[in-house]
Amino acid sequence: MNTRVLSVRRDIQAEQKADAAAERERLGRRGTLVINLLSSPGSGKTSLLEATARHWAGRRSMAVLVGDLETDRDAQRLAPLVPVAQLTTGGACHLELPLVQRGLQALGDPAVDFLFIENVGNLVCPASHDLAEHLRVVLISTTEGDDKPGKYPKMFRTSQAMVVTKQDLLPHVPFSIEAVTEDALKIQPALKVLTTCAIDNRGIQEWCEFLEQQYQEKIESVYEPAVNR
Amino acid sequence: MHERSLVQTLLNQVQQVVDADGGGVVKEIQVQVGDLSGVEPLLFESAFAELVTEWFSQECRLVLDIVPVKAECRLCGQCFEVQDYEFLCPACGTGPVEVIQGDQVKLMSITVDSEKSVSGAKS
Ligand SMILES: [Zn+2]
Repeated sequence: MNTRVLSVRRDIQAEQKADAAAERERLGRRGTLVINLLSSPGSGKTSLLEATARHWAGRRSMAVLVGDLETDRDAQRLAPLVPVAQLTTGGACHLELPLVQRGLQALGDPAVDFLFIENVGNLVCPASHDLAEHLRVVLISTTEGDDKPGKYPKMFRTSQAMVVTKQDLLPHVPFSIEAVTEDALKIQPALKVLTTCAIDNRGIQEWCEFLEQQYQEKIESVYEPAVNR
Repeated sequence: MHERSLVQTLLNQVQQVVDADGGGVVKEIQVQVGDLSGVEPLLFESAFAELVTEWFSQECRLVLDIVPVKAECRLCGQCFEVQDYEFLCPACGTGPVEVIQGDQVKLMSITVDSEKSVSGAKS
């Protein structure tokens, strides 16, 4: 029998990563900052986006792609405020780029300043998939325990910002912002940490200012000619 | 459970590599799974066992090599193995560190029995 060994040594996601890089470049060039929002279910991604849309109303344009396993309830909540498209994964635990591209097409590929991708609620699988985002943000609510970073290191290692949500509940839950921050910074020392409450709008202005600064750094200063055209 | 979609990607690539190399019976696939790849080896193995027969045969073995996370300090150049997901440079303690190994799933090699020899052995 003639047995041969083929040496490959290749990242199996290399092709997907290249596709994502090309899409990121295309969106950046025409002036859109893409933000991939990740968290456990129920941590307040939709509420944060509602508060963001209200804060920017008429000043900054945004659109949202909402990933969900089955329902379109989150999309319905956001629809009165911003252009929104539903990405139904049919039970899959994470979003992949082709689904995101289909969602963009469904929206008519709008040239908004900020495109948010509300990923499926899950701290594991979405971490391994590049959705062409310029910025990856992980949300952690005060009700879900402050030991998440150590349990889901890949998620925190690959994110550039962490938003602690439901700040208003801090007096009622055993959650320490200091502990979660310390844990997360061991994994990603460059992580930007923000704290918000979407109900009374605490921290929303800082969150929006952070995004605008990211827009400046990752879009305006990189693709200056295209944006000013 | 995204391991299923990763295994599909893997098998698709194995098929492409083997086809481009003249085809044959795939006997073994060697894969490196990094500790920071977000892949659970047991789930990867069970997804492989389930899906491999759609591409190849049950006799095709999966060999998983789990690799630790390594990083390099961008400030002082120190290379170190990351323990307990603490990404702090052990030498200077201040530099930003870059992961240089352990955040990927890599197709390393494929062992193939060439079809010509198989049919040749039969005759
Ligand atoms: Zn160092």
